[in-house]
Amino acid sequence: MLEPTLITWVLVIFGVFFIFLPILYAQIQMAFRPHSQRSKDIIIGKGEDWRDKTHFRTANGLAWADLMIWLPLLAAGSIGVLQSQIWGYVLWAGSGIVSVYISIVLWFSEREYVYPSCGPLAYYTYVWGFFVYWGIAVVTYSLLRLANIQF
Amino acid sequence: MNILKKSIGRFPLGVWIAIIALISLFLAWFMQAYSLLNWDIAVDIGFQNERFTGDAVERAWAHESWSVAVADMLWAMPLGIVAFIGILRKRFFGFAAGLMELSIGVYFPLVFAFQRWTTYPETVIIAIVLWTIPSLLGIIGLWANREYFEKY
Repeated sequence: MLEPTLITWVLVIFGVFFIFLPILYAQIQMAFRPHSQRSKDIIIGKGEDWRDKTHFRTANGLAWADLMIWLPLLAAGSIGVLQSQIWGYVLWAGSGIVSVYISIVLWFSEREYVYPSCGPLAYYTYVWGFFVYWGIAVVTYSLLRLANIQF
Repeated sequence: MNILKKSIGRFPLGVWIAIIALISLFLAWFMQAYSLLNWDIAVDIGFQNERFTGDAVERAWAHESWSVAVADMLWAMPLGIVAFIGILRKRFFGFAAGLMELSIGVYFPLVFAFQRWTTYPETVIIAIVLWTIPSLLGIIGLWANREYFEKY
């Protein structure tokens, strides 16, 4: 009943390539080499520096929490849904909820700094938007599949 | 895991643990809601740590904490209400929403812990004891009782 469909595969592949791998790379850099220029280039923008201690510590806190909770949830959930497991959908939905949650926090805390420097196209796609779209899609899809609605 | 399935009154022990974890998260949402209504009094009480009237760094922290409070009101609290009602009614959507809500309960105090450990270690410990650990136990409790919830 929970076998992967085309939509499952689309969401898994999108999640792996546009959410999991970029965030994994960025957060490993941020967690283990927080003061390196490469970390700043990835997290803030090329040649940019931390605005203040708050900015740095927030990025560092998110990096560790993402590596410990969000990314493992996403990875395990993706594997689980491809194995047609209930736990896979539940973990996947959990990762989607966290993705949207942190995107809302970043909307209110970082948008005024990030949006002007990257512009609407980048912001509403790979900088911020993908995390919201993917998160909502995964939560909705998981709940529908768990309610035995197959599509 | 069998002890988590043992019935105590209306629910198995694992479900009670999840309910207690959700109630604990509601305490957090209450604190956040109160903070949004009156930030300065929330700082006086100890719900928040920084004021918008302090120096530039303090204002930056206050802005970050305010953003988290707004996200809690818009996303985490409504999900928590759905989870609470669903679990009390023994419905599968309550189980799923409960696991999602408790994921936030584990995730955000950890962000906070890594952010603030050097400045507010006592607040970090309170957050982990009040929210991360109960949420983690709640997830285990719910998962152990996944067959208990009706499918529809």
